[in-house]
Amino acid sequence: MAILSLRNVSKNFGITQIIRGVSLDIEQGEKHAIIGPNGAGKSTLFHLISGRYELTSGEIFFKDSPIHNKPPYEIARLGLARSFQVTNIFPMMSVFENIRCSLLWAMGYRYSFWHMVNRERRLTEKTEQTLDQIGLHDKRNFPAGELAYAEQRALELGVAIASGAEMILLDEPVAGMSMTEARNAVALIRKITEGKTLIMVEHDMNIVFDLADRISVLVYGEIIATDVPERIRSNARVQEAYLGEVTSDA
Amino acid sequence: MLKSAVVWILFAVLLLLLPQLADSVFAISIYNQMAISIVFALSYNMLLGQGGMLSFGHAVYFGLGGFLAVHALRLIEYETLYFSITFIPLIGGLFGLLAALFIGSFSTRKAGTVFAMISLGVGELIAASSLILVSFFGGEAGISGDRTFGPPLFGADFAQDLEVYYLAAFWTFLCVLFMYLFTKTPAGRLANAVRDNPERAEFIGYSARKVRFISFCAAGFFAGVAGGLFAINYEIITEENLNAATSGRVLLMAYIGGLGFFIGPIIGAIVLTLINSVLSNYTDLWMLYLGLMFVLTVMFLPRGLTGFMMMHRMAWHLGKLRLLLLPYTITAIPGSLLFLSLVAMIEMSHTNNSEFIFLGMGFDPAGWTSWLSLLVVAAIAFMALRLSLPGLKKAWAEANSQETEH
Amino acid sequence: MIEVLIFATLNGLVTGLLLFMLASGLTLIFSMMGVLNFAHASFYMLGAYFAYSISLYLGFWPALILAPLLVGVLGALIERYGLRHVHKSGHVAELIFTFGLAFLIEEVVQFFWGRATKDYRQPEILDFPLFTLFGQNFPAYKAFMIFISVGIFIGLYFVLTRTRIGIIIQAAITHPHTVGNLGHNVPFIFMMVFGVGTALAGLAGVIAGPVLTTFPGMAVVLGSIVFVIVVIGGLGSLIGALVASLLIGLLQSYAIAADVGMPELLNLLGISFESGHFLDDLWNLSLPQIAPLLPFLLLVLVLIFKPTGLFGKRET
Repeated sequence: MAILSLRNVSKNFGITQIIRGVSLDIEQGEKHAIIGPNGAGKSTLFHLISGRYELTSGEIFFKDSPIHNKPPYEIARLGLARSFQVTNIFPMMSVFENIRCSLLWAMGYRYSFWHMVNRERRLTEKTEQTLDQIGLHDKRNFPAGELAYAEQRALELGVAIASGAEMILLDEPVAGMSMTEARNAVALIRKITEGKTLIMVEHDMNIVFDLADRISVLVYGEIIATDVPERIRSNARVQEAYLGEVTSDA
Repeated sequence: MLKSAVVWILFAVLLLLLPQLADSVFAISIYNQMAISIVFALSYNMLLGQGGMLSFGHAVYFGLGGFLAVHALRLIEYETLYFSITFIPLIGGLFGLLAALFIGSFSTRKAGTVFAMISLGVGELIAASSLILVSFFGGEAGISGDRTFGPPLFGADFAQDLEVYYLAAFWTFLCVLFMYLFTKTPAGRLANAVRDNPERAEFIGYSARKVRFISFCAAGFFAGVAGGLFAINYEIITEENLNAATSGRVLLMAYIGGLGFFIGPIIGAIVLTLINSVLSNYTDLWMLYLGLMFVLTVMFLPRGLTGFMMMHRMAWHLGKLRLLLLPYTITAIPGSLLFLSLVAMIEMSHTNNSEFIFLGMGFDPAGWTSWLSLLVVAAIAFMALRLSLPGLKKAWAEANSQETEH
Repeated sequence: MIEVLIFATLNGLVTGLLLFMLASGLTLIFSMMGVLNFAHASFYMLGAYFAYSISLYLGFWPALILAPLLVGVLGALIERYGLRHVHKSGHVAELIFTFGLAFLIEEVVQFFWGRATKDYRQPEILDFPLFTLFGQNFPAYKAFMIFISVGIFIGLYFVLTRTRIGIIIQAAITHPHTVGNLGHNVPFIFMMVFGVGTALAGLAGVIAGPVLTTFPGMAVVLGSIVFVIVVIGGLGSLIGALVASLLIGLLQSYAIAADVGMPELLNLLGISFESGHFLDDLWNLSLPQIAPLLPFLLLVLVLIFKPTGLFGKRET
């Protein structure tokens, strides 16, 4: 059953068409990677799905409800979470607070001004759990803006997954990390997305082929191929998009 | 949990015992002013420090609350209504809340410069309207009332300022407590999140606009309570209490105290009330000094007085605070001399007397020797100050370093 | 009736162009540096006071040249040593800084010149009626004000669109980093633009001082209106600032001249009210009374419905 459906999605900025008629179905529980050359529109696609941008045309369905042009908070409440390519956390709040805030809606707190968060046992427990998962338990009282880069990326991940969303969009989660840090991050991603649907934008092919069930290749705003990793690897159009003309003695 | 309860008990005890410290008419009036300013400044920080919304029109809620409060006092006086004036601040708060509900409905869509401009526009609009709508706002003379009517509370009829103090202290305690508790609620936490990163807050499921709206209304409520306290204390309210100058003053209080800390505005309110009342007795130029202080704080102490104190937290934890004692003294001496000589020159240029007395010393404003000597002192002090700074920097680094002393 | 219209239009034009001189500087500064200079009207005030003092010794005409220069230099210094320092603390801190600056400048002016209104006179050579229409005079000085304002606008337009530095400034308005990467000294440009912007404000003060009176509260009077104009016209648009300035200037002028009140309007509709009603004030409102309110009303409406203003492209 397709948990996310894109139907002929297009996005223009002025007269420039960034996304041109993308159609895609993502199955529930699938780990799907989106790859493509720089400037192909991968982040833009994420922004369209998560509600940051409005579509110029087309439709997007999440669990059979239309989510295109809905505000981000409505989409998030349906169970769709995302991380950002450029770290987008709450810099002046502590690490603990960052995670706790991300949990609030899922744990049933609306805009309450009568609950004392410090007294909410389940909330605190769940926050601690998440902190443990992302390995930032020791830094829980640090202001998020003062963490090291890789730790911020881990927090970025934590804020995205804390609410227990069914579908998670990760935009270049290991960008700027060293090999060890990236390896740890991938292990973390694998652990926390068990049983969930994952869509990931990534450049590192090793990670992509390691994690993904299926891969979509986005070139100049169009998906030129969607398939399992092995067939993508040998797809001529994909090779051409990345390397230019495939020469016979390559 | 126990620790924080102790703090609140101490706070309550302090409020109760304050009149024992000094109970002159002057002192009591200062306490009352501080109480009003503390509630007002804390309400402002709900917007700016906690919510990231810079408002230039917060006095509107203070003033509107005050106006309704004075009208309520009059209604009690003319026996149209009969209830204790204890509830007047609540009435002020409710009117402030009402105004905030209305104005917030269209002004909280964005934070930043747009919000600041709307707040300015609305503030000016209401202040100007208040001069036109004379029946509610009383025109230039404002509206006055009498607080001694209505049922007495424990025998007090509030004719005395001291009785007003206990009422004000009660309300201040409640307001401080509730504003503090608000920061611990989901709404309060989300206000911080929206301040830090409104976009990300939306991606975790919350409408930034709604979060801001809640903070905005809460801030309006407490500002109205402060207005109600003002009405009881001074028994008069005018257009001035709604206008941009009053909005500016509360911004000043919160900023100088320190926006990023809950007690920041409390400290700012206390300091500014003292400057307002005490300093103005010594010099006509206190507003000039205030302006200088404000600009210098923005430039050099952006985290306010509380921020400055908190900078020492690390050193205090490490037990190395005393390392700073000597360097601070070494810097403070030329610093104070520079400050005093500049103040002397500023004051002297404004005096009409033939002799100018400063700190017990006599100067001749007309003679050039006085001026020259002050200038020389200032110059030397400035140079000595600059010389002391590297040593201070070094001591600071050492006091904050994790290495153990050898 | 028609002479009221003509004079109201002329007066509105004078006010509008004056406001534009202030608004143009503010727009330039905002476009370049993203800072809404709260103290902008304070430089206007300084211009008037400097010109007053200079004119006491050297006369009006040298003051016309020297005072704006002095104000511009002061503005550049404040940018270099004050604003730039605060820049790293963010936009809110910058706004608060300029706000504090406005407060401080007002106090400093009172310190040096006192609180009384200064007798800053227009030059005698211009102190004659330019023409008389239906028995009312139109002073030559006001024509002079129009002349200077229009001259400034033309000069500004010319510099921005025809000179090299103007093109660089236009580029830096939308792409400061790119311009910096091209080797231009962006901080220096910022300082110059701030200096020129404040000098323009000072110039407005020099010519407005004799007409709008020179007193320590003169910055407050105009300050908010100038913000209203810049926002309504669209933050970052000079054309918008011009249109909005003229709009506000004419609107206020007409409102004051019209002297029509609510009672008249209501009578037209056949409604009349008994007095003694507590909403009396509302029903007795006259147009001149609400004239000072109109700009702010417009501001709030624009910010709600079209935050980018009439011509603006940026929403801050």
